[in-house]
Amino acid sequence: MKCCKKILVLITVLLNIIPLNGCWNYREIDQLAIVAGIAIDKGINEKFSITVEIVEITSGGTAQSETTSKIITFEGKTIFDTSRHVISVSGKKLYWGHAKIAIISQEIATQGVVQVLDWFSRDAETRADIKIVISKEHSAKDILATKGLTEKVTSFEINEILNSHQSLSDTPKVEVWMFNNRLVAKGISPIAPAIDLKQINGESVPHITGCAIFDGDRLIGFLDNNDTKSMLFILNEIKGGVIIAESCTENEKTTASCEIFRNKTKVKPVINNGNIEMDINIETDVAIDEISSSENIINVDTVKKLEASAEKILKDRIESVIAKVQSDFGVDAFGFGAKLYENKPKIWNLVADSWKDKFKDLKVNVNVKVNIINSAMLAKPLEVND
Amino acid sequence: MGDYMFGKFSRFGKRHAANLAGNNSKNGNSNNNNDSTNSKNKNNINSNNINNNNNNNTINKKDAGDNQKGFYKNKPVNNLMLSNSLEKNISLFEDIFSGDETLIIRRFQNRYLTSVKCCALYFHGMVNNEIINENIIQPLLSSNLAEGIDTNNLIDELQYKVIICGNVKTSQDFTAIVNSLIGGDTILLLESCSKALIISSKGLEKRSITEPESAKVIRGPREGFTESIITNISLVRRIINNADLKLKFKEIGERTHTKTCICYIEGLALESVLNELEQRLDKIKIDGILDSGYIQELIKDAPFSLFETVGASERPDVIAAKLLEGRVALFVDGSPFVLTVPYVIAESAQANEDYYNNFIFASMNRVFRTVGTILATSIPSLFLALTTFHHELLPTQLLLSLSTARKDVPLPSVLSLIIMLTIFDILREAGTRMPSSIGETINIVGTLVLGEAAVQAKLVSAPVIIVTAITGILTLMNKNLILSTVVLRFLFLIASSILGIYGFTFAFILLIIHLMSIRSFGVPYMLDITSIKDHNAQDTWIRAPWWTMTLRPKIIGMKNRIRQSSGRPWRK
Repeated sequence: MKCCKKILVLITVLLNIIPLNGCWNYREIDQLAIVAGIAIDKGINEKFSITVEIVEITSGGTAQSETTSKIITFEGKTIFDTSRHVISVSGKKLYWGHAKIAIISQEIATQGVVQVLDWFSRDAETRADIKIVISKEHSAKDILATKGLTEKVTSFEINEILNSHQSLSDTPKVEVWMFNNRLVAKGISPIAPAIDLKQINGESVPHITGCAIFDGDRLIGFLDNNDTKSMLFILNEIKGGVIIAESCTENEKTTASCEIFRNKTKVKPVINNGNIEMDINIETDVAIDEISSSENIINVDTVKKLEASAEKILKDRIESVIAKVQSDFGVDAFGFGAKLYENKPKIWNLVADSWKDKFKDLKVNVNVKVNIINSAMLAKPLEVND
Repeated sequence: MGDYMFGKFSRFGKRHAANLAGNNSKNGNSNNNNDSTNSKNKNNINSNNINNNNNNNTINKKDAGDNQKGFYKNKPVNNLMLSNSLEKNISLFEDIFSGDETLIIRRFQNRYLTSVKCCALYFHGMVNNEIINENIIQPLLSSNLAEGIDTNNLIDELQYKVIICGNVKTSQDFTAIVNSLIGGDTILLLESCSKALIISSKGLEKRSITEPESAKVIRGPREGFTESIITNISLVRRIINNADLKLKFKEIGERTHTKTCICYIEGLALESVLNELEQRLDKIKIDGILDSGYIQELIKDAPFSLFETVGASERPDVIAAKLLEGRVALFVDGSPFVLTVPYVIAESAQANEDYYNNFIFASMNRVFRTVGTILATSIPSLFLALTTFHHELLPTQLLLSLSTARKDVPLPSVLSLIIMLTIFDILREAGTRMPSSIGETINIVGTLVLGEAAVQAKLVSAPVIIVTAITGILTLMNKNLILSTVVLRFLFLIASSILGIYGFTFAFILLIIHLMSIRSFGVPYMLDITSIKDHNAQDTWIRAPWWTMTLRPKIIGMKNRIRQSSGRPWRK
C-alpha cells in the first residue's frame, strides 16, 4: 500500500510538470534559421517590406566552415505575418533569439515606430535586447545588403560597431526595452542611433553616425556625431572617447587630445525667481594622450590652461546642442522633464501638460570641470634636438 | 497502533486465505471437467496442474527448513558420536567424506609403546606438511612413550607432552571435529579413546600482501588486504595496537561456512550499529558468500538505490581510520574488500591520501572530485538542454559554431549523446577486464575510430564527442561513485531531452530528495553535507587541517567525540 501511494504521488508529480513548464520545445540547433538582423521598410504594394538577414553556415568538413549570410525580402501587412511567410522560401522557422539589429527606415520611423516595436516587445520569440538603428539611407534594406568590413554577417558587424562605440561615445546604444522605457516615460523623448552608408575602398559599408531624435514615436530629425556626443555628456552616458584641448602660447597653438577615463554628470532642476532652470554639473577625468607640438605644456600652469580650454570647448558644445534641440526639434531628448519629475514632482505636475513649450525656453546652466590626471606613458613632450 | 497493525495483517491473512480457497474450488471444477475427457479441455487441465504446482511451491517456501528439497541444511552429523574403536571411528569419517579422495588417513604406532595406535586425518593441500611430519607424526612415532607417560589418560598426555604444536584441543563434539578437519586442521584419533585431538596445521596457499590495484597512492602506506581473513585482521591490528580492538567471528553461508569478523573499537563504536549489523548478518540465509559484495548488498539499507550505504575498502589504513572514527568493520574471508558501516556519502569523496598530504592540496583535490562527479552526471544533459531547448542561453558565436558542427548530422542530439555515452561505457567495461596488452587496442579503436571517424563520417557532431570525452574523464574522478554516475547521467539526459533545463532541475531535485531520505544503519546518508559549521564541515567538502579536527564526526563518533585534546598544545 505504502509503495502504491509513493508511485501514485510520483506519477501525479510527473504528470504535473508537463503542463507546468513554459513555452519551449525540442529543436535541433541546425534546424534553426538564425536571424541576425531585420530591416523594416515601407512596402510598395503592402504596408511593410521586411528584410531579414539569415546566418548561413556552409560547412566543408569540420575545419573549413564559413559563416555567411543571406537576405530575404518579403512584403506584408504586419511584421509577424511577413516574418512567418519567410518559411515559404527558407523551409525553416525563423529563430529570433539571437537577432541583434532592427534597422528602421526613415519613412517608417516618421510615421511612428510603435507599429514596429510592439511585435518586438510582445512576441515570445524575439528578445527585448535587439538594438534599434534608424536608417538615414533611402531604404533600410540597402544597409543589410552591404557586406561588412570585418564580419561576414552585416548585422553582427553593426552590432559590433554599436558595442565598441563606447570608446568613441558619439552615439547612443539603444535596445528595444530602453526605447520603450523612454517612449512611455514622461518628460523624456526617445533617441536612437542613426546609420548610413560610407564608401570605403569603393564599397559601401554600414556606418553609424549620430542619432535620431523622436517626438513621441515619430522621427523628427537627426543630430550629427559631435552633437550626439555633447548630448551623451548630458545624459551621463559617456564611457570613453576623446576631448580636445587647446593651449595658445606666444609661438604656436598646441592641441592636446585627452582620453576620457571617467565622467559624471549631474542634472539638477532649480527654481530661480519662479522660473525652472536646469543645473548641469559635469566632472570629467581625462589623460593627455597626444600632443601636437614639442612644446612643453606639461607643467602645473599649462595643464591648468589646458583644462580651462577643454572646459570651455565642452561647455560651448553642450550649450550649442541644447540650443539646437530647443530651437530645431523642441522635444526634450535630454530628459530634463524626467529629472524635474524625479526631484520636484509637485512642480512637474504643474508644468507637465505644457512641458514641450516650457522646454523650448528652458534656461540651462552648464558647469564643466575637467581634470587632467596624467599624461600617459610620457612625462614630457618629444623634444626635437639637433 | 499495535492493534491497528495487527488488524491490517489479519485482513491480509484473510484475503490470502480467500484466494487460496478460490483456487481450490477452481481446481475442483477442473477436476470435474477432467472426468469428462475433452480434447478441448487439455490446455485447461495443464494450466490447472501448473496452478497446483505453484501452490505447492508456496507451501514449500513457507516451511523450507523442514523440506528436503527446500533450503540446504547440513548433514545431521550432530547425532554421530565417536566410539572407543579406532577403526569404527575411521570408518565414520570415511563415510562422511566418501567420494572425496583428498582425505588422507595415516595410521601409525609408537615405536616403544606399540599399544598406542594412532590415526591422523587431514586434507591434502589444506595443511602444512611440515607441521604434520615433524611436529605430529615424528614425536608420536619416535618419542619414548613407555616412560613418563600415563597411558590411562593417554590423549591428554599426548597433548601436554608429545605434540609440538601451538594450537591443540581435545574434543568430543563430532560437528566441531568435522568442521576443523574441513578447515585444514589435523584430527588425531587414538585406539580405545572416544575423544579426538584437533591440531591446528593450516597451510593454505595465499597471495602475498601487495598494493591494491583499485586504489593506488603516491603518499601513504602501500599495503593492501589479501584474501585471507587472518592476514587482513593482522594488518589492521598492527595499526591499532589496543586491547579495545574487538574481533567477533561469525560464519555465514550455509554451504560455504565463510568466516566473517566484526571488528570495532570498544568505547567508540555505537552499540546500536553493532547490534543492527549482527542482527542483519544473522538473518542472512544464503548458501554461499564468495565476496564481501554479497554481504554488502544483503545488508544494504536502501536496496534499490544507486548509492552504496555500506562502504568497502582494500586498504588497512583506511579501515583503521574508519574504526577510529567509531565505525564498525566487517572482514569476510576470501575477499580483500573489508566492509564498514555506517557509510555516508561524504566518504565516497574521501581518499586516504587526503589525510597524508597537505590539507590545502587535499581540499582542492576533494573539491575536484566532488564537482567532477556532479559535472559528470550533468554535463551531457546540460549540453543537450542548451543546444535543443534554450538556444538563447548560448552566446551567438557558440551557437553558430555548434550549428556548424551539427550541419548534415542525421541523428538527433539526444540520440547521438546516448549512443556515444553508451559506447564509452562499453569501452570502459571492455577495458576493465582486458589484459593490458589488449587494452591498448581498445584505446586505439575507441579514440581513432569513434572519435575521428564518426565525426568525419558525420554520424555525430564534434561537440558531442567532446562532451562524451569530458564526461568520461570526469566519471573516473570518483571511483566510488562510477556506477551511480553512469546511470544517473542517462536519467538526467532523458529528463532534459523531454523538458530541457526544467527537466534536468526536476531530476536533480528528485536525486537530492532521494539522497536525503536514505539512512545507513540509522545515520543520515547526507550527514553534514549541507553543514558549514566548523566541526561538522571539517571532513566533507574539504579536509580541514589536522590540528583543527579535534572532534570525531557527528552521530558516528557520538560515543566519544574527542579525537585529540587540543590541536597544537605547544603553541601558546
